[in-house]
Amino acid sequence: MQLQKSMPISAATAAAPIRAAERRRAFVRRRVVPWLFVLPILIINVAVVAGPALSAVYYSMTDWNGIGAAEWVGLANFQELIRDSGFRHAFGNNVIWLAMFLTVPIAMALAAAGLLAPIRRGAIVFRMALFIPYVLPSVVTAALWRGLLSPDRGIPAVLNDLGVPGFDKAFLGTARTALPAIGFVDNWHWWGFLLVLFLASMQNIPPDLYESARLDGASRWQEFRDVTLPGIRPTLVFMILMTTIWSFLTFDYIWILTQGGPAGASEVLAVLVYKEAFNNFNAGYASAIGLTMSFFVGCVIAIFAILRRRGWEI
Amino acid sequence: MRRSLRTLLVLGMLVAAPLAGGSASSVLAQDATEIELWLNTVSGSDTAECIVTNAVEPFNALGTGVTVDATIQANSWNATQTAVAGGAGPDVVTTPGPSFAMELAKAGRLVALDPYAEQFGWGERFAEGSLDLGTADGQLFSIPNEIETLVLYYNKTLFEQNEWEPPTTLDELMALAEEVNAAGIIPFANANAEWRPANEWFVGEMLNHSAGGPQLVYDALVGEAEWANPDFVAAIDALNQMQQNGWFAGGLDRYYTGTMAEVGSMFGMGEAAMKIEGSWFLSDVDAYFGEAAGNENEWGWVPFPSVTGEAIFDLGIGSTWSINANSANPDATAQYIDYHFSPETQARLLVECGLVPAAVDLSGQDLTGVNPGLAEILDAMNAAFAEGNYGYTTWTFWPPESETYLIEEIERVWAGEITAEEYLQGHQEVFDAEREAGAVPPIPER
Amino acid sequence: MSAVAPARGARREASLAPNYIVLTILLAFAMGPLIILFFNSLKTTAELGLNPLGPPRSFMWENFPKAWEMGNFAMTTRNSGVLVVGTVIGVLLLGGMAAYSLAKLDLPGAGLLTLYLLVGTSLPIQLYLVPLYFTWNRLGLVNTLHGLVIIYIATNAPFAIFLLRSYMLQLPRDFEDAARVDGASEWQVFARIVVPLSWPGFLTVGLVVALSVWNEFLMATVFLTEQDLFTVVTSYNNFAQRFTRDWTMTSAAAVMMILPVIVIFLALQRRFIDGLTQGGLKG
Repeated sequence: MQLQKSMPISAATAAAPIRAAERRRAFVRRRVVPWLFVLPILIINVAVVAGPALSAVYYSMTDWNGIGAAEWVGLANFQELIRDSGFRHAFGNNVIWLAMFLTVPIAMALAAAGLLAPIRRGAIVFRMALFIPYVLPSVVTAALWRGLLSPDRGIPAVLNDLGVPGFDKAFLGTARTALPAIGFVDNWHWWGFLLVLFLASMQNIPPDLYESARLDGASRWQEFRDVTLPGIRPTLVFMILMTTIWSFLTFDYIWILTQGGPAGASEVLAVLVYKEAFNNFNAGYASAIGLTMSFFVGCVIAIFAILRRRGWEI
Repeated sequence: MRRSLRTLLVLGMLVAAPLAGGSASSVLAQDATEIELWLNTVSGSDTAECIVTNAVEPFNALGTGVTVDATIQANSWNATQTAVAGGAGPDVVTTPGPSFAMELAKAGRLVALDPYAEQFGWGERFAEGSLDLGTADGQLFSIPNEIETLVLYYNKTLFEQNEWEPPTTLDELMALAEEVNAAGIIPFANANAEWRPANEWFVGEMLNHSAGGPQLVYDALVGEAEWANPDFVAAIDALNQMQQNGWFAGGLDRYYTGTMAEVGSMFGMGEAAMKIEGSWFLSDVDAYFGEAAGNENEWGWVPFPSVTGEAIFDLGIGSTWSINANSANPDATAQYIDYHFSPETQARLLVECGLVPAAVDLSGQDLTGVNPGLAEILDAMNAAFAEGNYGYTTWTFWPPESETYLIEEIERVWAGEITAEEYLQGHQEVFDAEREAGAVPPIPER
Repeated sequence: MSAVAPARGARREASLAPNYIVLTILLAFAMGPLIILFFNSLKTTAELGLNPLGPPRSFMWENFPKAWEMGNFAMTTRNSGVLVVGTVIGVLLLGGMAAYSLAKLDLPGAGLLTLYLLVGTSLPIQLYLVPLYFTWNRLGLVNTLHGLVIIYIATNAPFAIFLLRSYMLQLPRDFEDAARVDGASEWQVFARIVVPLSWPGFLTVGLVVALSVWNEFLMATVFLTEQDLFTVVTSYNNFAQRFTRDWTMTSAAAVMMILPVIVIFLALQRRFIDGLTQGGLKG
């Protein structure tokens, strides 16, 4: 634009068609090309997720058994949702789950990444071993830990025999400990994945930043705090956001290990959706719960966006 | 698999051709109709494979022009419900129970079976009233696949060693459990980690064997009695007492985390004395007793004790079979269903797979080789059903949401969060709403 | 500099002991259960009952071929392999393009697209399973591997896009700008400069997507209902239900289903390390 303005007036008429072509090319380059890169995946995603999910918006306002015709009921499902104490309880458990997964695995992965970074000898062994639990499918992990957590045959049994107090109970079968126990099993397989993501992100930190920190006489902790953490911030923030989203969707481990029990102690929203849709034939109500979950997530994303706009570097 | 199966069949026909002479060419010329059947793995994929070997393959070998393509599905019910709702699915639709079939029927996803029932004479073949369970709006939509009941199994050897007598009344059961527990043995080898709905077995047994008995359950199911009546409150209180005493698997936490294999082996090895289980356990019981399990113990059974001491068997249906409205070949599908539920096939499934048969008359069938304990239970059960002296299992006669309520909320009673009375009152609310919506399966008159 | 460096290096080496201690504890935490799983796959059922945690006294290596045969792992491994390869290629190519657009091309409406993808990720699959099945059935995509690959590409793409974007954001702009000045098209910049520079990110994302496809259960059981299309997880599940009483066989099956994944990961992990030593993280 600056360039065009400063053009001599005499040349303007002659240059008009060229400028129009240039502008068109600039338009294509700035506006069309970026979308061409996005379009293929967007089309697939819309076909698989958005299209079918739009019908879920409709179904959430119907009385539908999931199979036959749906009957329009307006916002009745959402009104019921507000009154449903089971829903509130499940939502609370999702929040607890979120709190667990925003702290424990991220702290573990950051600590391990920080400890691993300066190591050369044996680094490859640690890197591989810490990641490997992530490759297990949930069915295997859950079955494995069900045995390992047994107070009669598993690790608690050994501790019990050694006289360590507090291990003579089945953590998964006790209301107070069921949800943390499932979280423990899930995290066993999960945190190594975060570690790999953080390590991969660290590779992109320019080496000279470390050099200059070292020249300034920074300790390793200062190096980690002032160079590594800011360096992996995009990945870290992104994983915090994804953890939040996934915490509202968590299903596998809870379903396999307790199905929400005992006495609803580990009930979460996705388990409710599943039960309402497949066991109780309330697919309309299940859709309403599902959309509410997405609404919460939308709120979290909005908060992120607002903070970013206000200049928070996230 | 399917392709290779088809190849095998063609090869089989070619080999058979010279033997069969002239008729073989017409078999080959006939265009085979293929129908699809999905088998679930709820009772283990072994059983499902046994069904393929003893029902599907013999049928395919008949050369009727209909070929059944059986697939064992790990996630059968989810897959079926989604596919049927999405306009596809197998020709034979199997569901976990009559209330599920009813939902599909109400949605217009099942073929009415009445013409086939007439054509094949199913009305005479199935025990009186048993087909009524598969009706909706006066039309037949599903066939009850497996008749089930619950009994009290006990470790006979352990009982003899300790001179314990199998109980007949609920008081005797409670007293015995106390004694067993005092002897350092777990009274009941029951846990629910792999099958949370096991909760409803005990709820259902306690309600049907309460002072009011099955009659009171019937009255409540048809809306003529309150669920929170004193007899039922007492029954749930007793069940709660059993759990609070740690009689199931050695404590509530163990009950919630024990696997079937763990409690099964406890029972067989004599670490636990009794087991409240269904007739389906019979296909499994031999794995825990005797040589195969590394012990010399024997098992026995009695009807689950009742307050009055009367022998009551609760009637249940394991799964249902229907024809998919999306099926291109409903006639051929009906042809296989007829074969599957013929007394001959049912007898073979019983003998070979230990599968409890549907409500068809097996007298006159060759049943040699049937597990004697199994035969005994089936006889007693059938006699009780014939006299109309039966109770109601929750997964057969309850509408879906009420059933879920019974399964899940009983845990809150055990956790001390609500009382037995509040539990039953809450159930009343859910049940009333479903009854109004017409979701209660047809209850045969007493 | 050269005089000071060795001294500091020595100090650093000496003070690494706490690192090794903590990492060894974490290593035991991660690997212990897996070693027990492996032990159990070698035991007899009777031994497992008496010795559920310790090393095996018997070595039932025959559990493995037996489980391989009975679980029909030969066929299901092939099916899962097709799904994994198809999805990874699709996600890396199409997701990589979208990530490039978001990170480097100043995509107009990027905020909206981000919001859409994130909200789409937050929808529980059960919510749109039936309508999706209905559509796929109409399109003839049910019971086809490519039909499921398309679904997997769509569900895995958002995460892949954002992760790749965050890697690409860290890349210095100099190289691209130089290429653009030289008249390279955006596609050339993407394919020749950005992809090679962000390959650790692509490798990580490929690994993550591969694992999620390899281990996926719900979609695989609903959209593939023919026996010759079953996946590894389906057959493991069938297997586990068949051997509920036999945890040794189930363990053998589990070891076999995770083994190929571990092998592939080990192969790729070497490349991670190569990249790391070339990079700036040397102690």
